[in-house]
Amino acid sequence: MKLFFSLIFLCQVANSLEPVRIQLWHQMIYEHRSVLAQSLREFEKENPDIVIQETYRETEELRSSFQAAAIGGSGPELVYGPSDQIGPFATMGIIQPIDDLLGQDFIKPFDPLATPEFLNKRYIVGASVGNHLMLLYNKKLVPRAPKTTDELIEMGKKFAATGKGNYGLVFNYTEPFFFAPFISAFSDKADNKEFSLELDVAALTKTFEFILELRDKHKIIPKECDYETANALFKQDKAAFLINGDWSWGDYKKAGVDFGIAPIPLISKTGKWPSPLVGTAGYSVNAKMKSERHKQATIRLLKYLLSERAQLFFTNKVGVLPSLISLRESDVVKSNPLLQVSTEIMKLGTPMPVIPEIRAVWDSLRVQYQKVLAGSSTAAQGAEDAKKLAESQIRDMNEVLQPDASALFIKILTLLGFLFLLWKTYPAFLSFLRGFQGSHKFVYYMILPAFIGIFTIIIYPFFFNIVISFSNFSLKTFQNFSIVGFQNYKMVLMDPQFYSLFLKTVVWTLVNVVFHVSIGLFLAVIINQVMPMKSFWRTLFIIPWAVPQYITALTWRGMFNQEYGPINIFLQNFLHLSPVQWLSQPMTAFFACVVTNVWLGFPFMMIVALGGLQSIPKSLYEAAYLDRANAWQRFRHITLPLLAPVMIPAALLGSIWTFNNLNVVWLVSNGGEPGDQTHILVSYVYKAAFNLYRYGYAASVSVLIFLVLVIWSLSSLRKQFKKEQKA
Amino acid sequence: MIKKTFAWISILLFAIFAVYPLLYIISVSLRGDDAFQSQSLEIFSNTSTFKNYSELFFKTNFLLWLRNSLVIATMTTIISVALASTSAYALSRHMFKGRNLMLFSLLGTQMFPPTMLILPFYIILSRLQLIDHFLGLFIIYSSTALPFCIWQMKAYYDTIPKELEEAAILDGCSAWETFYKIILPISSPALAITALFSFMSSWSEYVVAAVILQDPLLYTLPLGLRSFQASLATQWGLYAAGALIVSIPVLILFMSVARFLVSGLTLGSVKG
Repeated sequence: MKLFFSLIFLCQVANSLEPVRIQLWHQMIYEHRSVLAQSLREFEKENPDIVIQETYRETEELRSSFQAAAIGGSGPELVYGPSDQIGPFATMGIIQPIDDLLGQDFIKPFDPLATPEFLNKRYIVGASVGNHLMLLYNKKLVPRAPKTTDELIEMGKKFAATGKGNYGLVFNYTEPFFFAPFISAFSDKADNKEFSLELDVAALTKTFEFILELRDKHKIIPKECDYETANALFKQDKAAFLINGDWSWGDYKKAGVDFGIAPIPLISKTGKWPSPLVGTAGYSVNAKMKSERHKQATIRLLKYLLSERAQLFFTNKVGVLPSLISLRESDVVKSNPLLQVSTEIMKLGTPMPVIPEIRAVWDSLRVQYQKVLAGSSTAAQGAEDAKKLAESQIRDMNEVLQPDASALFIKILTLLGFLFLLWKTYPAFLSFLRGFQGSHKFVYYMILPAFIGIFTIIIYPFFFNIVISFSNFSLKTFQNFSIVGFQNYKMVLMDPQFYSLFLKTVVWTLVNVVFHVSIGLFLAVIINQVMPMKSFWRTLFIIPWAVPQYITALTWRGMFNQEYGPINIFLQNFLHLSPVQWLSQPMTAFFACVVTNVWLGFPFMMIVALGGLQSIPKSLYEAAYLDRANAWQRFRHITLPLLAPVMIPAALLGSIWTFNNLNVVWLVSNGGEPGDQTHILVSYVYKAAFNLYRYGYAASVSVLIFLVLVIWSLSSLRKQFKKEQKA
Repeated sequence: MIKKTFAWISILLFAIFAVYPLLYIISVSLRGDDAFQSQSLEIFSNTSTFKNYSELFFKTNFLLWLRNSLVIATMTTIISVALASTSAYALSRHMFKGRNLMLFSLLGTQMFPPTMLILPFYIILSRLQLIDHFLGLFIIYSSTALPFCIWQMKAYYDTIPKELEEAAILDGCSAWETFYKIILPISSPALAITALFSFMSSWSEYVVAAVILQDPLLYTLPLGLRSFQASLATQWGLYAAGALIVSIPVLILFMSVARFLVSGLTLGSVKG
């Protein structure tokens, strides 16, 4: 017995000697990652009892993965990201206040910008400060930066005139973050150093008009310009000025661009400086710690990462502005001219808001602004709508539905439904169980493993979603949601947007499936009847099916790019047409999605059709030939009716897949751009759940999608069954 | 003659449509750092370089991701083929209460928007302590691939005449022997497709892997590729090079089973 206990004791000692594994999720850009890795390896060398595992996640993905991990009760000890992610995380209760963990004294030496307050607590400590926008100018093309916007326009026009495809100014102007600096400069109100949730309609209208003027009247910015395009144009000496953030410097240095930085020019009309948002990127601590040892190790790591040493290392390598005030006087900072100018620019800035509601403001700005740019709304109307949309989205986000009478009703209904189901399926279930002993037990054992897998992995999530769809699961009730009744469904069904999206999804599905089937059938018939080297053509046309979907989608997005996409280059060089702004107009963007999806889907139908064609007896065609039926008649009366039983199930499956195809729409249109006008139902669900935290609402839309598809497939299968019976 | 010309022209047009995006990926992957966004339509130019490929193989964990993806896709394929071939056979040959419901619920699993399933997947796997384990991915990938695989295997079995088994039983084969020695061999086209389909779905799956695999040493290819795609600084050259290499195994697999594809992909049968 004694031996046993001492064994246990020994095991525990051995256990505690094993190094603690601390996880860190970050979203650092490519160049910063290796610096972080070096810094962490250094720490591990000095602290052999701690092992750190750093994982890169793209910003949005880090957010949704961390949320999922937190619900599952795990997740990384430390999260590194921009300050605006702490609002939602803290509201959900999945990160903990750092001032409680480390004390007020720890926080004092940091720049206040690096330790923003949220609900009177500090949930993040920044490792660097900045992330703000500025004007970059290419010294090879222009001698200096303009002071005012009039000067900018004049200099820009001059440069644009030097050659075709040259632009005065480029920036990712469709993103609200990139035009936000201008809003305050157009505001009549006195400078207040706070970004307000309430949008200033007058200022916003003027900002929209200003950007439109730059684009249409002065023509110094490209008609369509995303981040990548702006980047490339600037690097290729095709743009004199660029608005971008401090994170981008490294990239341009590496590309050998000789550039200078300056504040975004003073707005000539109002005489005010645009005010970029200044934020921080830093570390937050998971609210749940696996053990006391993990907690202590996390604290040690956090202190190290924020220490003078680690910060200096980063500043040295990648030139970020340290968050410790004491370091601002260090040689590394003083001798870096970019950092000196950048610090001056920062003084014009507004602190980046951290409250979760800001997400709704950004989103509604993006949506309405892109509509204005696409010409589907005027500046004034867009500004007005953006304000309204922001208000309603904030309301939706913060709304905590209260249980009503129907909640109880649902609970009772569920119970009754369950009992009813049990009663109904009990005999079938019993006979199924009995089957295991009967003469056909072999059959039952063959079915069992697959169905156990399917049922646990798919049925549980399915019921989970049904439960959620009746609940108030959202940002504020992240850890303690409750069943509230039919309210989500009522909201969905009362919303006219749901019906228009539904209609659009139906059109999307119909157009896609019609093209899939007709192209597939067409190619199959031609390959089967006319072409030599059948297997070569067959293999060639399989290619689109073989390329992974996410790669396809991003590739097509690249091909539709206004500036660099081969499609526009082809239109210009060979057909002498003017370039089309595929991705910034709602109709053409939707068209781009359809083309991509048609490309993806026709090979499947072609293969199915080829298989069907092979099994049609040749004698039928020969007989038809003797009867002098022409090609069309042969197709119409032999091929089509005999292929139908093969094609209909394939088309049905295809329509279900297309109806629910999130990848293509989301990736090609970059999440519904322009202005949420390219959504289909699934992408709308995705947005509601992961961007606006309305899980309950999203789940109820999902359940409705499911019901629609069940009805649709039941009705089409029934037709099929009837036909089979007649035959 | 006119008919032939028309056929050739249209098939060549579609061939361009089908192949061009792949050529575009190739051309991006061969461009140097500064020129990957370029305004020329040339696929190869004098600035073409294999720099991205060498960087991919020697400076990133690409080979590790490749190994992980191969392990996961192979295991998923084995599990799916084993389970789909057996259960589909039972569904095809045996009538029992609830069979149609079972078949329809298989189709039904394809109808729920997949994005909403991720959160519950995560919850199940974290209860089972399978986060950061390949086993978790095997389970999810094979059970999500199964419905389609079973459906299509069942449709194929339906086309095999029952007389075959009756003869085998008369010859003294057991039910298992009949399945194993008679039915499986003649179903090889359908098996090839089931294998291909499950391999492909796990090979290129990204969203579930992103939630379940947190240890970079366990990353699969799609996850690795995504890490070149930072929010505001994408390594397009590396991404394209990686994308191309990811597509190649699937292409080879497709080509090697292409002859089975046509005879094996039956979702409903022709009554000849």
